[in-house]
Amino acid sequence: MKSFVKLVAIGLCLVLAMSAVGCGKKQVSGSPELSAEERARREAEARRQAELEALRQRDMDAQRARELGAGGTVKNALTEMIFFAYDSSEISPAARDILQQKANALKAQPAVRLTVEGYCDERGTPEYNMALGQRRAKSAKEYLTLLGVSAARLTTVSYGEERPLATGQNEAAWAKNRRAEFKPN
Amino acid sequence: MALAMLAFAAGWANAQQGLTIDIFGPGQAKANLLLSRPLGEAAADRVPVLSSDLQERIHRNLRYMPFLRDMPASDIIGGDAVPTPKAPGIDFKKFAMARTDYLVTSGWRETSGGSGQVNLRVYEVYSGNFLFGQEYSEAKSGNIQEIADRFCSKLMEVLTGRKGFFESKLAFARKEGAGKEIWISGPTGSGARRVTSAGGINTSPSWSTDGSRIAFAHIGDKGHALGVHSLGTGRTDLYPVAGGVLIGPCFLPGGGVAATVEVNGQQGIYQLEGPSFKPSRPLATSWGIDVSPCFDKSGQRMAFASGRQGGPQIFVMDVGSGQVTRVTFEGKYNTSPSLSPDGKLLAYSRDSSEGHRIYVHDMVSGAEKQVSFGPGFDQEPSFDPTGYYIAFSSNRTGTYRLYLTTVHGDEAIPLDTGSGEARSPDWAPAN
Repeated sequence: MKSFVKLVAIGLCLVLAMSAVGCGKKQVSGSPELSAEERARREAEARRQAELEALRQRDMDAQRARELGAGGTVKNALTEMIFFAYDSSEISPAARDILQQKANALKAQPAVRLTVEGYCDERGTPEYNMALGQRRAKSAKEYLTLLGVSAARLTTVSYGEERPLATGQNEAAWAKNRRAEFKPN
Repeated sequence: MALAMLAFAAGWANAQQGLTIDIFGPGQAKANLLLSRPLGEAAADRVPVLSSDLQERIHRNLRYMPFLRDMPASDIIGGDAVPTPKAPGIDFKKFAMARTDYLVTSGWRETSGGSGQVNLRVYEVYSGNFLFGQEYSEAKSGNIQEIADRFCSKLMEVLTGRKGFFESKLAFARKEGAGKEIWISGPTGSGARRVTSAGGINTSPSWSTDGSRIAFAHIGDKGHALGVHSLGTGRTDLYPVAGGVLIGPCFLPGGGVAATVEVNGQQGIYQLEGPSFKPSRPLATSWGIDVSPCFDKSGQRMAFASGRQGGPQIFVMDVGSGQVTRVTFEGKYNTSPSLSPDGKLLAYSRDSSEGHRIYVHDMVSGAEKQVSFGPGFDQEPSFDPTGYYIAFSSNRTGTYRLYLTTVHGDEAIPLDTGSGEARSPDWAPAN
């Protein structure tokens, strides 16, 4: 049993490392002609985005904590959504906990299959977002398989920026739309 | 019944030699055009009520020719009326005084049931030369838009040397409830009609090179599939994909379809061939996202968006050699490429701090120009068959609609595609 736990732990580390390498937002080298003012503006914008992202993550962690009942059980482990950072398919620490609960629920109900649906916010363009949504669904699927769920029980589909949960052109709406949904069938 | 049309062009040869408007040149100037009020072809001929409908539709089409200024009648001292629809008999002086460059007359003869015969003539005001004319023998309410389109198509051809815009067709995805279906329309959105009833989400239409079929991406209950609609038969076929992913299909000039699919766990742009459109060979694959293939008319050059070097950028592949070249370097998020038919220009969408904007990149000189200015997100550009116009989608009014601009960045004009969100425009190639 211990060796299995070790194996899962090693697997988790590997997938996290792969996510960080393969899915993280990449920095594009800037034009050498950028003025100091422009560089400063871009750096300030990057800091602002990072702060917004940190705020969003804290909100989601708080929301998740509220959703945990007094007994610490997840209300609906199978269908609880996970969320992603902008232009990323990396599984966040909050999402890891949700996927762990989901894997436990799936193991307890071996007849259940899940469709993992990947979604994006509206800021990208539709076709690129369709591919990004697929990567998000696939990241969630791969994480669940590393937690011991059979890949045969999991299918993925991307809806890209179609079917947003929240309308509005602000970070709060966009953060809700960068998600993976889980549909038991 | 096909519309009967006669072209009469006493000055046609002269017109061909004397193209007066270079729509691709720098410092594009507007020429003044006046559409005079309709009158009887002969003094005794009655003018049907329909004539005002044609006037209105020609005026509407003229809005889409930014190299022309549609002069109001009030610009002409003495009014825009002409005593007769054809020279001699037209006094060009009052039009010349108002700096009119081109005069269009419409001479009618009412036939029966409100329909009629119309002769549209175009004169160059300063010389008094007749440029061209068209006669439509059965103008009626059912074909009045077609007459306006044919006339404006010829007008653009005679004045600029570019033909086909007003007779071209657009495909686009229109939202219906929670789903989307594929629609087609004229180039200004006129005559929009739904061509698919596939259910689910149907988007990213792409015309075949002969204009007979439209490929599109379908997302239904069973996941993604390639959709192909045949305009001749009205039939729509869905082809499921093994890897569960199908994004941004594009008909290849030589047959088959290029699209982003997943083959043996590797997602990328593949060529799909055969009766079931199975992946046959990879065209662009990498560790990053590779999407939105598009081709020039020759099929020798494929542009696509790729995240292979970080944020998405536009790349071009020489199809023969497989050599890939990065095109865009400014901006962190450049997607949705569209190559002009001659492959000389590339339009794409760039994300900026103010939202997405459309840019045009000169593939020869490397120069770039912003051609859309928001607000909101301007995305999904598509070149028309002349390589002069660019259709794109924008949510500048809160809902995604289609707009038209030019390679010069002329003021974006909304296309009248009816109610409902419209996205993913794709222009049918010229035949």
